[in-house]
Amino acid sequence: MNRLLLLASSVVFSAVVAAPSTGWGQGKSDPLSEREKVTHVLNRFGYGHSPGTFEQVLEAGAEAWLKEQLEGGIPVNPILADYLDEFETLRLTPKECREYTTMEIPDDATAEERQARNRLRDLPKRELVRSVLLHAFLSERQAEEVLCDFWRNHFNVSFTKGGPSQNLIPDFESTVIRENLWGTFPEMLSDSATHPAMLHYLDNYLSRKPPTKQELAEVERRVRRRTGSRQRGEEAASIAAQRGLNENYARELLELHTLGVDNFYKQKDVVAVAEALTGWTADLSRNGTQGFIFKGNMHIEGNKRVLGRVIHSKTGRGKNEGEQILQLLSSHRGTADFIATKLVRYLVNDDPPSSLVAKVSKSYRKTKGSIPAMVDTIVKSKEFWARENFRAKFKTPFEFVVSALRVTGAEVESSDRIVRILESMGQPVYHCDDPTGWYDTSEAWLDPGVMALRWQFAEELAAGNVKGVRIPDSFFSNIPSDIPPLLWQHHLTRAVLPGGAGERTRAALAAVTNEYIKDRRVPDLFDLGPRLVGLLLGSPEFQQQ
Amino acid sequence: MPPLFHSWKPKYPPAIVNVYLRGGADFLNMMVPWKDRVYRSVRPGIAIREEDGPVKLDSRWVLHPALSAFEPLWKAKMLAPVVGAGSPHPTRSHFDAQDFMEYAAPGNRTLKQGWLNRYLTESAGKNSNDFRAMATQELLPRSLRGEFPVLAVPTSMDRRKGSKLLDRFEEFYGDGMTKEGGVMGERKDDSTGVVASGKATIETLRRFQEIVGSKKSRRGDSNYPQSRFGSRLEIIARVLKSGEGLEVAGIDIGGWDDHTNQGGVEGRHADRLRDFATAIAAFCEDMGPRMENTSVVVMTEFGRTVRENGNNGTDHGHGGGMFVIGGGVKGGKVHGSWRGLGDENLYQGRDLQATTDFRDVMAECLDGVFGFRPPKNFFPDYKTRKVGLF
Repeated sequence: MNRLLLLASSVVFSAVVAAPSTGWGQGKSDPLSEREKVTHVLNRFGYGHSPGTFEQVLEAGAEAWLKEQLEGGIPVNPILADYLDEFETLRLTPKECREYTTMEIPDDATAEERQARNRLRDLPKRELVRSVLLHAFLSERQAEEVLCDFWRNHFNVSFTKGGPSQNLIPDFESTVIRENLWGTFPEMLSDSATHPAMLHYLDNYLSRKPPTKQELAEVERRVRRRTGSRQRGEEAASIAAQRGLNENYARELLELHTLGVDNFYKQKDVVAVAEALTGWTADLSRNGTQGFIFKGNMHIEGNKRVLGRVIHSKTGRGKNEGEQILQLLSSHRGTADFIATKLVRYLVNDDPPSSLVAKVSKSYRKTKGSIPAMVDTIVKSKEFWARENFRAKFKTPFEFVVSALRVTGAEVESSDRIVRILESMGQPVYHCDDPTGWYDTSEAWLDPGVMALRWQFAEELAAGNVKGVRIPDSFFSNIPSDIPPLLWQHHLTRAVLPGGAGERTRAALAAVTNEYIKDRRVPDLFDLGPRLVGLLLGSPEFQQQ
Repeated sequence: MPPLFHSWKPKYPPAIVNVYLRGGADFLNMMVPWKDRVYRSVRPGIAIREEDGPVKLDSRWVLHPALSAFEPLWKAKMLAPVVGAGSPHPTRSHFDAQDFMEYAAPGNRTLKQGWLNRYLTESAGKNSNDFRAMATQELLPRSLRGEFPVLAVPTSMDRRKGSKLLDRFEEFYGDGMTKEGGVMGERKDDSTGVVASGKATIETLRRFQEIVGSKKSRRGDSNYPQSRFGSRLEIIARVLKSGEGLEVAGIDIGGWDDHTNQGGVEGRHADRLRDFATAIAAFCEDMGPRMENTSVVVMTEFGRTVRENGNNGTDHGHGGGMFVIGGGVKGGKVHGSWRGLGDENLYQGRDLQATTDFRDVMAECLDGVFGFRPPKNFFPDYKTRKVGLF
């Protein structure tokens, strides 16, 4: 292409590019355009669009897409199913997982056998992390994945706890989070409270009444007999004598799972809840079920006073006290408000509109904590569709990475590298040490420095330099061949940011294109294209949802 | 040291390195009142005993043996422990307690600028340097969050390719476009925060790369432990040694929430302590004479229960403690007031009292290191009380 032609096409270029309505710079109260609405739902109830799907949703309408997503019945993506089929441990129960990871091999095993055996040790952990990523990336049931992410974070458990956690968390993901997703909050709460992953993560499995003199004597006798040493027996008894109450779960149950921090409860309530929950444990012994069990001999008897109510204690019915407390918390106004606030913050705005929080809290109370009812209230609200909430949230690293994979239609052969990238961005899946879960507001993720990692990933992905991941050629070759290079950016912008790009981004892309064309007689789509896509994925617009 | 020293112009620029132990570190097993009979009886499984070989500080206090790297610092009068430091707010929530401490505003949920960031803003006119603060981790600690731009160094970034990457994204985030003929108007949209963050990323990261690439910022000879904390602390030392005006650095160590299997002289708590202390000792050695004007300030959101809990660990408590380490501090002396471990002396019958407001320590560090007297309302609803650290 010669210079003259270049100039000519650059005129055409500005005319074409200026034409499409971008949605940026609209008035504050203007209703969202159809394109914007589609962008909004695909980002808030999904991880963005994948090639071609934006137009499909545009045709069906944003509301219709949402309805379908929330009503269920969307078939499983066969590509996802294929991936998942290869995983060996995802559907194992905690007991099976334990057997799997602790499988013994004969002493004369070969090096290869040993290696194969060692690979099993952390397989459940690796497979679950990858499965969460692949679900978010590939599932057609996008709303389900977004809600999973929310509840996973609300009821945070983490592999960083070590010990048996890796045998327990895969089951937690499927039985506590996924199975209750379209059910009620009280059920999810109660399932989390009795799940060994939670009991272990927040130490409740150890919390117990101090042992009686009789029990201590029994321990001493047993150890003495086994070791033949009187001293060892005494030591064991003195260690056993220190066993007792652990407040960890009780506190987080009140603070993080139900009422919100220092809301309605005091330290004495924490202790009372911890006492009521003594005996809620899991049989994590070598041949144990690895499941929930109530142990009466660990339970502290006696009536407890929680949030001003008396929890009656009946001998032999200790488990019931914990159930009463969960019931009390589930039906508490504070819980309805807390859950509503978190949901609206997650799905609508970092600064959740109080009018909508009130409506969602009301739905909670009216429906006894139905999750679909709360979500329905949100999607039918005027607040959800208001312009001020459009692109108002900054994507978390997880949302950013998954949406970049989706928007480019990436083919993922191995997700190992993606897992490590999320780690470097500070959000590795199921590895949040802190029981609070990840921050759900942008303020936490916007620190200068983090952006550089996003840009690095954006460029590497677009250029095909993320190991095990590749963008198919068709993503670029979709651009009609007779289109001059100066217009490639326009097509690629449409592909990555169909909701529109700002003036600055468009101008910056044009500058890059011009610079590129200047030095080359034959511009190469497979050279310039990836550069532009890298920049688009790193653009301010793509960081927002 | 001649008494006149403090009136001389400091030879090296002053700096604060803020180390945060996340999770509520068990200070009672770091600074141990080992002769207290109650101590041993309420911590039968995790107490530090004489035969464990603790570092004796004075007639009352010893350091956990895993903190033995602090011994030379104590002898050089560079280590100043503040026992019983903590928050006047009763919360035992990690999140709230950390927020309240790092924003230095207990009970205040609206103030969202870290105490060190407030210092940076308040003193901005005095120092026009563009690289005054940094954290060597992906996300900033809250103490550094706020109005004043602070770089969180993405430690996993490829330094070699990094600078070209920044060039390419400058058009999207930097000032570039406006200079070239106003393509950009004043843009007000929802990505303002992102653009600002991107712009700050480019500017500060460039500066950082320039600094660590310079000759003056060479690696130290001292032995940092091969840990995340050690290597991050070493980067801070390199930037400080370059003399480019870094004043404030923040760094976290996680994992102190020892509800179970905390251990005593050995164990998980001890392992963390060893890493923590050897890294700081290496840092002090690496910094050499610069330590005269540098203070490492160590804090944690709360102490833990005086009694060991039922699982060889400790639960969330109240009063804890702090360390200030440096050449300017009045070290070799235990600061703060101590009431003993008898039930009658405990907060709510279970925890250490917070006898020194953590803000007292912060205020004295800002004054002692930078000569910055926090103006009124710098710490909301707060009255200064003297600790005597400087």
